[in-house]
Amino acid sequence: MIARALRQLALLLALALPPAIVSGAIQFRWQKPETLPENEVTLAAAQSWGGQVVWVDARPQAKFEREHIPGAVLLNEDNWVRLVGPFLDVWEPGKNVVVYCDSASCDASHAVAKRIKEELQVDGPVWVLHGGWDAWLQRK
Amino acid sequence: MLRAALTPICLLLLTASLHAELIWEKPFQSFHRLPSDGHLDAKFAFRNAGKTPVRVRKVQTSCGCTTASLVKDTYAPGESGEIAVKFTFGDRKGAHRKVITVTTDDKPEATELNLQVVIDEPLTVTPALVFWKTGDAVAAKSVQITAQPGQPVRVKSVTSSNPRIAAKLDTIKAGEQYAVAIVPVDTSKKEAAEITIETDFPADQPRSYTIHARIK
Repeated sequence: MIARALRQLALLLALALPPAIVSGAIQFRWQKPETLPENEVTLAAAQSWGGQVVWVDARPQAKFEREHIPGAVLLNEDNWVRLVGPFLDVWEPGKNVVVYCDSASCDASHAVAKRIKEELQVDGPVWVLHGGWDAWLQRK
Repeated sequence: MLRAALTPICLLLLTASLHAELIWEKPFQSFHRLPSDGHLDAKFAFRNAGKTPVRVRKVQTSCGCTTASLVKDTYAPGESGEIAVKFTFGDRKGAHRKVITVTTDDKPEATELNLQVVIDEPLTVTPALVFWKTGDAVAAKSVQITAQPGQPVRVKSVTSSNPRIAAKLDTIKAGEQYAVAIVPVDTSKKEAAEITIETDFPADQPRSYTIHARIK
């Protein structure tokens, strides 16, 4: 009687184990923290730097004029020559420069960040905001 | 048994052969241009190689600087068409990859057309920014001006917008290599200057470049 009950228990465990392992693996993968590319920063991290950030909006001028992160300065490749001077007027050595464009899929922020680093060779780190303007809109 | 298995396979093959399909002539195109060209026009030609009409549902570009247009959206079997793409350079330079995503009703996945454009800047100015912190020692900073190999560019003049931040041109090899020494009168207060480099290239519309100087 006991032996039969143990056999049934073992069978039930054997049946339940594979789906449990699969489910656990999926859960683990979903909960694994997202790793950011080396030059990107999350909104929370950038906000934690407080006043030590120069926000750079790399979107087209019309979008910047509609709305932008408070204090951000417009700098895009459409009008780099005209806009780079005003950016340098607000930039301060040593401060974090954080560049954003529309979303995670746009590349304008990466292009602008690259030019700030390589062409201007500013003193201080230059970041791309992970998720861009979309991340700002979704902030809590 | 064998017949039962082959029948659905044959039906699938028949359906696939009847299915409409756009065939793209050159889905990847690459170009070299000068900044003075201002923009690039490219055409992505296609043909409906299927046996039913194909409707182009959506054409999207990866950047606001790129537009794509289509004369009409439905193409009969055997009919050809093209997507006209215009990439406006603005102040871009170097290598750029623009993706045009085309969604049609003949297949669930979109087609990606690639436009690779290298905008060859004839002159590089490195670095384009020199700065001092207030109170720093008054020391000259040097900026290198280099022409692309095989394309001589002569620097005609260098002028500073601020008399308290001077700029002096040194010709290392005419048409190829120059240096500009920039030095402030003092660094006691915050100041700014834009240093303009006038060149002779291209002859019909010579370009100028800017070095930014700041005391922070």
